[in-house]
Amino acid sequence: MKSYYDRPLLKGPHWGANVVTYLFLGGIMGGLGLISLLSDDRPEPAMKKLRKATRYTAFALAAINPPILISHLGRPERFLNMLRIVKFKSPMSLGVWGLVLYSGAAGANALRELADDGIVPSALRYVAPSATVPIQALLGAFMAGYTGVLISATAIPLWGTGKRHIPAFSVCSGAASASALATLLSTLQGNHEVIPRLERLEMAASALEIVTIADFRKRGGRATAPLFEGRVGKRLRDYTILGGIVVPFVLNAVGGAVRLPKSIDALRSIAASMLTLIGGYVLRESLIEAGKLSANDPQAAFRQPS
Amino acid sequence: MATGFFTDATLCIGCKACEVACKQWNELPSDGFEFTGNSYDNTSQLSGTTWRHVDFVERESFDESGLKTSWSMVSDVCKHCTNAGCLEACPTGAIVRNEFGSVFVQPDICNGCGYCVVSCPFGVIDLIEAVGRGDDAKKYGLATLHDDRLNDRKTAVQATGGVAGKCSLCFDRQRVGMVPACAKACPTESIQFGEIEELHERAKRRVETLQERGVEARLYGADDIGGGIGALNAFFLLTESPEAYNLPVEPVLPSTRQTMGYAAAAAAALTLATIGWAIFRGDS
Amino acid sequence: MPGLGTSFGRGGATVWLPDLENADCILIQGSNFAEAHPVAFRFVMKAKERGAVIIHVDPRFTRTSAVADLYAPIRSGTDIAFLGGIINFVLQNERYFREYVAAYTNAATIVGENFVDTEDLDGMFSGWNDETKSYDTSNWNFERNDDGTLRRDETLQHPRCVLNVLRRHFARYTPEMVERVCGTPQKEFLKIAELLARNSGSERTTAFAYAVGWTQHTTGVQFVRTAAILQLLLGNIGRPGGGIMALRGHANIQGATDVPTLYDLLPGYLPMPSALRDEGSLERYLARNTKATGWWANMPKYIISLLKAFYGDAATAENDFCYGYLPQLIGDHSVLPTTFAMKDGTVKGYFVIGQNPGASGQNAELVSSAMERLDWLVNIDFFDNETVSFWHREGADPTKIGTEVFFLPGATVLEKEGTMTQTSRVLQWHDKAIEPIGDSKSDLWYFYDLGKRLKALYADSQDPKDRPILDLAWEYDHEDERERAAGEPSALRVLRELNGFTVADGKQVAGFADLAADGSTACGCWIYSGVCPDETTNHARGRIADARSSPGWGWAWPANRRTLYNRASADPAGNPWSERKKYVWWDAQKREWTGYDVPDFPKAKDPATPARPGASGIDAHSGADPFIMNLDGRGQLFVAGALADAPMPAHYEPLQSVIENPLYAQQSNPLLREWKRDDNRYNRSVDPDYPYVLTTYRITEMSGIMTRYIPWLAELQPEAFCEIDPELAVEKGIANGSHVTISTALGEMEARALVSGRMQPLRIGKGQRVHQIGIPYNYGRMVGFARGDSPGDLIALSMDPNVSIHEAKSLTCSIRPGRRAARSAGSIEAPVPTEQQRAYGAGSAHGIDAGERR
Ligand SMILES: Nc1nc2c(c(=O)[nH]1)N[C@H]1C(S)=C(S)[C@@H](COP(=O)(O)OP(=O)(O)OC[C@H]3O[C@@H](n4cnc5c(=O)[nH]c(N)nc54)[C@H](O)[C@@H]3O)O[C@H]1N2
Ligand SMILES: Nc1nc2c(c(=O)[nH]1)N[C@H]1C(S)=C(S)[C@@H](COP(=O)(O)OP(=O)(O)OC[C@H]3O[C@@H](n4cnc5c(=O)[nH]c(N)nc54)[C@H](O)[C@@H]3O)O[C@H]1N2
Ligand code: SF4
Ligand code: SF4
Ligand code: SF4
Ligand code: SF4
Ligand code: SF4
Ligand SMILES: [Mo]
Repeated sequence: MKSYYDRPLLKGPHWGANVVTYLFLGGIMGGLGLISLLSDDRPEPAMKKLRKATRYTAFALAAINPPILISHLGRPERFLNMLRIVKFKSPMSLGVWGLVLYSGAAGANALRELADDGIVPSALRYVAPSATVPIQALLGAFMAGYTGVLISATAIPLWGTGKRHIPAFSVCSGAASASALATLLSTLQGNHEVIPRLERLEMAASALEIVTIADFRKRGGRATAPLFEGRVGKRLRDYTILGGIVVPFVLNAVGGAVRLPKSIDALRSIAASMLTLIGGYVLRESLIEAGKLSANDPQAAFRQPS
Repeated sequence: MATGFFTDATLCIGCKACEVACKQWNELPSDGFEFTGNSYDNTSQLSGTTWRHVDFVERESFDESGLKTSWSMVSDVCKHCTNAGCLEACPTGAIVRNEFGSVFVQPDICNGCGYCVVSCPFGVIDLIEAVGRGDDAKKYGLATLHDDRLNDRKTAVQATGGVAGKCSLCFDRQRVGMVPACAKACPTESIQFGEIEELHERAKRRVETLQERGVEARLYGADDIGGGIGALNAFFLLTESPEAYNLPVEPVLPSTRQTMGYAAAAAAALTLATIGWAIFRGDS
Repeated sequence: MPGLGTSFGRGGATVWLPDLENADCILIQGSNFAEAHPVAFRFVMKAKERGAVIIHVDPRFTRTSAVADLYAPIRSGTDIAFLGGIINFVLQNERYFREYVAAYTNAATIVGENFVDTEDLDGMFSGWNDETKSYDTSNWNFERNDDGTLRRDETLQHPRCVLNVLRRHFARYTPEMVERVCGTPQKEFLKIAELLARNSGSERTTAFAYAVGWTQHTTGVQFVRTAAILQLLLGNIGRPGGGIMALRGHANIQGATDVPTLYDLLPGYLPMPSALRDEGSLERYLARNTKATGWWANMPKYIISLLKAFYGDAATAENDFCYGYLPQLIGDHSVLPTTFAMKDGTVKGYFVIGQNPGASGQNAELVSSAMERLDWLVNIDFFDNETVSFWHREGADPTKIGTEVFFLPGATVLEKEGTMTQTSRVLQWHDKAIEPIGDSKSDLWYFYDLGKRLKALYADSQDPKDRPILDLAWEYDHEDERERAAGEPSALRVLRELNGFTVADGKQVAGFADLAADGSTACGCWIYSGVCPDETTNHARGRIADARSSPGWGWAWPANRRTLYNRASADPAGNPWSERKKYVWWDAQKREWTGYDVPDFPKAKDPATPARPGASGIDAHSGADPFIMNLDGRGQLFVAGALADAPMPAHYEPLQSVIENPLYAQQSNPLLREWKRDDNRYNRSVDPDYPYVLTTYRITEMSGIMTRYIPWLAELQPEAFCEIDPELAVEKGIANGSHVTISTALGEMEARALVSGRMQPLRIGKGQRVHQIGIPYNYGRMVGFARGDSPGDLIALSMDPNVSIHEAKSLTCSIRPGRRAARSAGSIEAPVPTEQQRAYGAGSAHGIDAGERR
């Protein structure tokens, strides 16, 4: 059946780089929560260093994400409108509350580290109970996941079709990117000991991610085409699949298997991390861009899978 | 008691009075001046600033009596869904269901996040880009070239800027007992406004009459449309398939996709947490 | 509207819009009803809901066609052939409403022996004078008995009785011929003929609706005449759900002919005195225009009351009520000849009010270049427009134009009070809703002020030639003090004067029956008499609707009758033709006419009253003669003498046509008026350079300037476009939405192509495939959000012989892909016509001349 003068049935997202960044950082915050939990209470100095790095970074990201969102909304007070209500049916609403709570937890954990480092009075350490660590991790999982749910629980055919896949690989991508960011920070800090573990975590997350994406692609059909074909598909393949998953995976695998000279190994790990991060960003960007294309395809929108 | 629209394509003469009456009442700007070549439709779609839109579908077919031309028109509008994707998605509570059962956007609460836009299965609601004065106003045809009064006028839309826009079912008019502007303007009663129950009755009778006369008529959205959306408070009588007017046949309410999404995310998170635990704490 | 006037007696729609709802069938032809009259169209839709069949016959498949039950294509300009075909069908198959025709029409009247038909003269009627290029219409007169009454053969057997003359005249309008001329497939045509016949008669009625699709032709009046004949034969006039709905144009176009802006009429359809007709004195005027029988026997009352309204106390029986003050016609002063006179330097000044001929006029460039030669131009409007800005139009050189232009700000309808007379003759009052912006003033204010200034200017004059100004009754000061202070005249006072009053006491008259010929009454427009029947009533304000004829809604002239000639809704004995179609009938008990409407008949005149040949006025008619305005009280199937070009319509090709007239050797209307000059070049007919039919029209979204300035409307149809069929598009390599240039010998215009299957080529003549191109005329180049060229650039001026209307509906043209060349500044030199050349200018040497006979 022909559509109406080939005009789009749906309206595409009005979302640009700021929303992409917001979603991307949300994923990383999720992953950082996990790493913060995994490195919690470990006596090794390297782990302690990693713990501190993830907690400070998580808090920093939690602090800059609202301004990024605001840059999309236009005016600061508009962010507050989100805090009028809690709406369980709206991933955007839950997400913002997730972000707020995550910021709280991340702030508490960061505060403990600050006290620990003597930057703030050590008494403040008791303001934040240690339960905030698993809480931050849980909220983090939510943060990484909701960025996927936010996209997939919409009317856009591509996104709706990926209602399982998109949240799943968003979590994976968030974890991989967080691992990559932690690797990067550790490399810069010279905290080499934690890197193999981080890289293994990253490899696991990437592996799960690529499998999920592959499975999504296998669904095929008109609805998923915008993500995997054409300009967007090429970018996704080059930057996310190859550059952001396969290459870093290989580099990480090489790093795990072969002992390289220190400086080269550092370069390898920096490269792998950077590529993963770029891949993670491009994944979100491709999703949004492909969502716009998908909205323009009335045929895919006429009949949607539930 | 919910009110809504029964829009009957067989009575529409494509005069677009509804489109214009809506813009006038709601002080909406024009969407630009572009000739499309698509029949008599140059506004093309519902938008943040076009809340009624008349579709023009031309068809030619041949049968034993020769060429048959048909030109079918219908005025599209927000469906005011029983379960509305836009309303559910809105994180600020700007979109509410009002006392008339209509889905209403409160422009002062909307923050322009645009989430409703991708959550409407009918492609109705959209963001209104900020429309300012001067050149912008001219571009959107808000001001005439000579009238300063018009240059200074700030429409409701201009004043808010960057908010979601769609049919309000003329909440302001309904509150004072007036019929919505579009229905009021419609010369042929193609747009009928009233209580839903009564409109359903009328629609069923109308379909019967038309079918008796050999007209292929069907209702769209009078009953549950599926996908979790339920019935539509603005429903239609069509003579062409819904696709011909870019109306979805099997739309889905986005929020029904959430549970599965969270579950998938949780599964992935749990898997990674387990692996991570093994990697980081496996030795402890 | 002499097509209706000569047939039925009054130049107005015979029905009122809501009555269309009662029709069993509606034929819409010559109008794009749904698009040009969308609000009125609701009644057509209601009729459809009630099961009526809606038929649309139009060159294009439009929004009207879309909701019609049946659409048939037709070649523009051929409706006489189409309707003539139906007349033939109805007569051949004896499908006419015999009783009605016999009793209420002049079917039985015997046509004189001198009459020779087009059938025998190959397209000409008897009486043609080749020198004067006109008919001696006395050749078409009826035969009379010795007592001066018309001879009739009630058996309808006489070979020269009108019915049989009609039969012979239309015999060659066969379905095959209709297809050859109109391109309408025979099957469709016959379906329509059958539907009309089936939906007429005592139990059912069919209504016709037309507008300018029928009038803007060199044969326009005869189009309407053909419809009138058909409706009389089918017995549909004066009956509910029947009649002919003449859809008028702008809000007050009906009003503008009732209280006319036409040069040859005075208010109430009284003829303007003419020196050409020897009407130099009131006596001679009355002698010519007062009819012995029928309503026009009352003429003296109306003209004298009008003169009393004009000149007040100065008008006395001794001075012929100042009749001599009235101007007398010395020629055709209608707009087209006047435009040429401007161009040729005879006319020096121009008031343009409520019109934009610089865009909507035919040969708009001629109009503009004519304005260049004026001393002054006054335009009252609320928008800058192509007329007032003619001096900086594309291609003009302002430095060479000396016209002094006065652009005065007008008030919009919301900013002033008054009445509009809408399409079904209903006067509707509107109040002033807001104060006009800035210096804007109502049109009434300008005229009132101008009158007062002229009076002041001549106040001291002793010159007799200035008396008309000084004696003019000019007192319309507003009742409201604030308005009075602003110099605003009272529209109500104007309306009350139109209604008329008794001179002695200044009391309103109740209706035109109260008017007298002795100067004791004054009345500005006799047909409006009754709208303000006393000191406190203004019926135009009425807004009470009822289920039937709504006499409380506004006020319809004459005497608040909604359906004219409604006596015909009852049979000769005064009983309804049928229960279903009951409307006005004779109440034998009360001995009066009664029903749902105001009877269009003397209230107490018994249907059995015999005709009294010697009596004057309608007393001469019998109690069964419903067309009271006409001499014989009957509907005129054959019009003897009142129209210049034909007593019965004959098909002629448009002035510019793509084929040779398949019916007669006479190509076009022999009386059509052309101006063959360099600045008004025509395409010749059958010219291969101009092979396509061109027609023009309006669209719902646009109505000229007022809509082009409104963004909400401009966005709906933002640019000039033209509609072409897909076959032609392929042949010419024209893509949908691309720019095309359409040209005629006169000029070029560009537009966006709208390629649509709604346009279809027709098979006409000897199997020739003809493409029709349609162009909306509502655009203009200079102002507004929606812009574009207007077909006014393509259409040379021509004129029909009866009402001086231009031919804008059926023309020829060529088309090519791409845009037209820009006109650079100063590129258009207004050519100064030294003599009126008989030359076709840039036209080609092919083709034939409109006046040609083969
Ligand atoms: N929206 C809008 N409404 C208007 C106006 C406007 O400008 N805009 N103008 C008003 C005015 S001033 C007027 S006079 C009326 C006019 O009202 P209409 O006469 O209804 O309008 P038009 O569009 O000029 O022409 C009617 C139809 O005639 C067809 N036609 C052309 N030639 C022929 C022919 O030879 N035979 C037949 N059968 N059909 C033919 C055209 O294709 C067109 O569809 O509309 C009034 N209403
Ligand atoms: N080719 C082609 N040409 C046509 C036609 C066609 O079918 N084809 N149709 C013809 C017909 S039927 C008509 S009626 C004409 C219409 O042609 P026009 O009468 O020239 O049409 P408009 O553009 O409506 O012009 C009306 C002008 O009056 C102004 N106006 C409105 N109200 C008032 C008022 O109250 N006071 C004053 N002072 N001004 C006012 C408006 O602003 C506008 O400038 O076009 C004719 N031209
Ligand atoms: S049609 Fe779209 S905008 Fe309207 S109520 Fe339904 S979801 Fe909301
Ligand atoms: S754009 Fe406004 S109405 Fe739409 S979801 Fe966001 S806050 Fe709600
Ligand atoms: S109900 Fe009101 S807001 Fe909605 S389309 Fe009609 S006029 Fe516009
Ligand atoms: S106003 Fe009525 S008839 Fe006109 S386009 Fe709208 S729905 Fe159709
Ligand atoms: S513009 Fe006025 S006159 Fe014309 S259809 Fe609309 S309401 Fe009627
Ligand atoms: Mo007109």
